[in-house]
Amino acid sequence: MFEKLQDLIANELSVSKAAIKRETHLQDDLGADSLDAVELVMTIEEEFSVTIPEDVASNLRTVGDIMNFLENNL
Amino acid sequence: MKVEALNHFVLGNKVAKLPIVQGGMGIGISMSGLASAVANEGGIGVISAAGVGLFDHQNKQDKDRYVIALKAEIRKTRQLTNGIIGVNILVALSNFHELAKAAIEEGIDIIFAGAGLPLDLPSLLDQDSSTKLIPIISSGRAAKLIIQKWVSKYGYIPDGFVLEGPKAGGHLGFKKDQIDDEEYDLEKLLPQVLEAVKPFEEMYSKKIPIIVGGGIYTGEDIYYFMSHGASAVQMATRFVTTEECDASLEFKQAYINAEREDIVIIDSPVGLPGRAVKNPFLEEVYNGLRHPFSCPFNCISTCKKEQAPYCISLALYNAKKGKMNNGFAFAGTNAYLAKAIVSVKDLISSLKQEYLDAFRKKLSPTL
Repeated sequence: MFEKLQDLIANELSVSKAAIKRETHLQDDLGADSLDAVELVMTIEEEFSVTIPEDVASNLRTVGDIMNFLENNL
Repeated sequence: MKVEALNHFVLGNKVAKLPIVQGGMGIGISMSGLASAVANEGGIGVISAAGVGLFDHQNKQDKDRYVIALKAEIRKTRQLTNGIIGVNILVALSNFHELAKAAIEEGIDIIFAGAGLPLDLPSLLDQDSSTKLIPIISSGRAAKLIIQKWVSKYGYIPDGFVLEGPKAGGHLGFKKDQIDDEEYDLEKLLPQVLEAVKPFEEMYSKKIPIIVGGGIYTGEDIYYFMSHGASAVQMATRFVTTEECDASLEFKQAYINAEREDIVIIDSPVGLPGRAVKNPFLEEVYNGLRHPFSCPFNCISTCKKEQAPYCISLALYNAKKGKMNNGFAFAGTNAYLAKAIVSVKDLISSLKQEYLDAFRKKLSPTL
């Protein structure tokens, strides 16, 4: 699952897959802006067939935060 | 499109006589006075919800004081006009949801929501609500995202968008290096936004009007954007130097006294660039002479309170009150063009005339 998420983030944010670790911060390390973040959430919802509530989505800061959500909700 | 005179602006079942939206200006600059005057002239008057109730010391302990104050301001405006009124609520306000809900309960005609993406705004409507929801955006990409989100989660198509370009006053939805980059000019952004919403308009058979703002100052500007696909314009700066504007005389005078080079870009404590009229207060901030404060409000979720040299809400409130030594005036690029304080009625007449002149000039460029 982590690899799928890595691929997806690398593709969405046009960054190298190697740069994506659990502790990677989406905004500070990968330069994602607020629109990138929303697009990423929408893609994750689609690819993993999951719904991410708005209040959860707005608190996803790191790759690890997304993984934790996916691990607990899939 | 018929553009020889400023025509009506249709927003679903609401119709404004003029395609002019008065942009919301906080803190306390566009309140019941200005909003009702604009609505009475046929435009859309907009109350700014930023800071409403924040300085209401009598009810300091009441956590509902913001909601109470906003409701009171909406009622006051309603008593002064039968025209169309809206409220501008920053998504970044920590009580955005409570304020939006309050405005809907009061039956406000339109909510304009910017400074962030209002992704769950439609969840606040109920079946009987007649409030229109208009996000403020700075790109076609944001328009597309909001439409996709709102449609998939709530089955709701935005009632329109305000596209605010980098020449606007106050907080800007652009990075600093984008502000003077001509790729981000409003003239360039408008076709991109029209292109972004077009497939959705066709898919849902619904017109999604685009209101453009940021640097629009004359009737000629209105003519340009209306003839390039905008459904209406948002103007704020030009309404500051009116008799009805709710700001102090000192605030209005800062516009009248300003030269072109006095309108500058600042780093706001909320983490966005902003445009303002340069003054000694801002120079002290720039030179590091203002020092961190303790925050009594927690009003803006993105505010970097720990590092901020001053409180933006307090500085803007001071300016509204005329205490320019402890505050400053936000302003659009063209604020320096103001020469006198006029009535909203006279201002609207000038805009109509300027628009007509621009139209005639276009017909016979040699005139």
